[in-house]
Amino acid sequence: MPNLNSLVKVFFLSVVITVTSTYFFSMSKKPDTQLVEFTAPFIFGRFQIPKENPLTVESVKLGRRLFYDPLLSKNNKISCASCHKQSLAFTDGLALSVGGSGKKLAFNSMSLVNLMWGPKHFFWDGRSNSLENQALQPIVHIDEMDSNLDDLIEELSEVKAYQILFGQAYGELNAVSIAKALANFQRTLISSNSRYDQFLRGEVSLSKQEELGRKLFMAHPDTKISLRGGNCIDCHSQFLTSGFTAAFDGFSNNGLDNDENLSEGLYGLTKLESHRGLFKAPTLRNIAVTAPYMHDGRFKTLEEVLAHYNGGIKISKTLSPLIVEADNLANMQGEHISLNLEPHEVEAIISFLHTLTDESFLINKAFSDPFTAGDLNE
Amino acid sequence: MNKLFKIVSLVSTLLLISIVTIWYHSLPKQLTLRFYPFLGNKPLVLNDERYTNPGGEGVFSIRDFQFFISNLMLINNGNNYTEQESYHLARFDVGKAFYEIMIPEISVFNYQQLIFNVGIDRKANGTIVFEGDLDPNSRMAWNWQVGYKFLLIEGSLFTQEKQQPLIYHIGFNESYTRLDFPLNSNTVSNDGIMKLKVDILVLFNQVEPIDMNETPKVKFYPEDVAKIANGFQYFITIM
Repeated sequence: MPNLNSLVKVFFLSVVITVTSTYFFSMSKKPDTQLVEFTAPFIFGRFQIPKENPLTVESVKLGRRLFYDPLLSKNNKISCASCHKQSLAFTDGLALSVGGSGKKLAFNSMSLVNLMWGPKHFFWDGRSNSLENQALQPIVHIDEMDSNLDDLIEELSEVKAYQILFGQAYGELNAVSIAKALANFQRTLISSNSRYDQFLRGEVSLSKQEELGRKLFMAHPDTKISLRGGNCIDCHSQFLTSGFTAAFDGFSNNGLDNDENLSEGLYGLTKLESHRGLFKAPTLRNIAVTAPYMHDGRFKTLEEVLAHYNGGIKISKTLSPLIVEADNLANMQGEHISLNLEPHEVEAIISFLHTLTDESFLINKAFSDPFTAGDLNE
Repeated sequence: MNKLFKIVSLVSTLLLISIVTIWYHSLPKQLTLRFYPFLGNKPLVLNDERYTNPGGEGVFSIRDFQFFISNLMLINNGNNYTEQESYHLARFDVGKAFYEIMIPEISVFNYQQLIFNVGIDRKANGTIVFEGDLDPNSRMAWNWQVGYKFLLIEGSLFTQEKQQPLIYHIGFNESYTRLDFPLNSNTVSNDGIMKLKVDILVLFNQVEPIDMNETPKVKFYPEDVAKIANGFQYFITIM
């Protein structure tokens, strides 16, 4: 018969085993999460969410907080939202963004919208091949947020709210889960209620001028059949208005510089000479609120942009042949490349571009700063 | 004698079963179509290679070449195989010398004939659908009122006087062209691969060779489109 001492030992041992195993089990248990419900027009097409980063309510909530939190920068003053402001369709209104170092960055801040569709390479020069990969780059860039990821993780770990949010969303706080959460918040930034969307749904009519602009936008000029066109659709797809999705079809040299001044662009990633000077064709959704324009923000207004395509094209080896060839006057192209649009046609295209503004997107509470919106306790 | 006969019969039967089994398992269980792009006898090299203008002065380079193959079928006397969502965009700028379509889990030699089309059928060309490689937001879509480019060739023509862009965007329902190929051990290898030559030059060498100086672009003018699309019937051949 076992003595009392042995029974006590066995009892305590079993308690220790039970508590320890329960603790480890709970730590390794996949968090209970709920998938985000969202809608998008079918004309946007297929999209893929990475299997390893399901679009959960918890991850988006975490990503939204991170997006607006200046803790992500070394000086704790700059958040993602510093260069991506919702009211400007997540751009910053500057030609070249300015980060923590105070230096001007190499590029204009890109609008963040409908990111599940369009090119699968991110940044103007396509250097990132996923939203997750993209998300960490500004955080560690010396001139942007200049954070050390280990320090950042430690800093976030000290915030009770993040302990809970990371636990709920991913079960752990690390660089991967930071990237995943930011990527998922950005995936939810869907704009599909502009007047153009409403027109496509048959809810509204466009004005005569807007409709002319739409037709010009959608047409490559062909003088042989008297078809006039603004040639926009050769780079900006008809519904998304972004660059094309497949391979590097969404990148183009649109004649901003001659060979002497041509920036690397996509060449930096692929090292193919044929990609030198090619940049991402951005979405034109909300384009009226995302000035200035182009990868270096050189054009202050849409009028300047249209003037570029209507006579300001600079010739280089990789200049798109579609731009060289697009001319509304037969046989006029020589050294001077122009769409040769009439002034009223230029105005019409700009008028159509204004129909791409989605006011509800710009004020959607779900995309707003949770620190000021009072959503932190939801 | 009777016993020996039985043993020989049994061994022969087993041997026959083994041979048939080995033969059956060696038959291709999938069909792989490989499309190799050429200009005449020269393999297509994008950007860097220059080719002779078929109908006139100068040389040309090709920056991009893409075309649609659709509605693929394998014929077996009424027991046919029809590929679902059968829209393939053949392209040659993604690091491979050929474009490939694979039809898995079929006994290739059960079929006598392969059929596919260059271009997109009237129904899909006139509606907004996302099937196979069809994508109304892609580079191959003109817009939903016009449909798709069936074939895209973009490049440059170089003459002594100048360099000019070449744009051949060929579409329209009238250009949709059916192609037929026999399926047998002469056309398909033992591992189920059929090699097909796609000859761009054929498109510019129909009634008379096209001078790219005179016709550097073809988009919507029906007569010009037909001149090139007439070549679709000879465009793809067995290698």
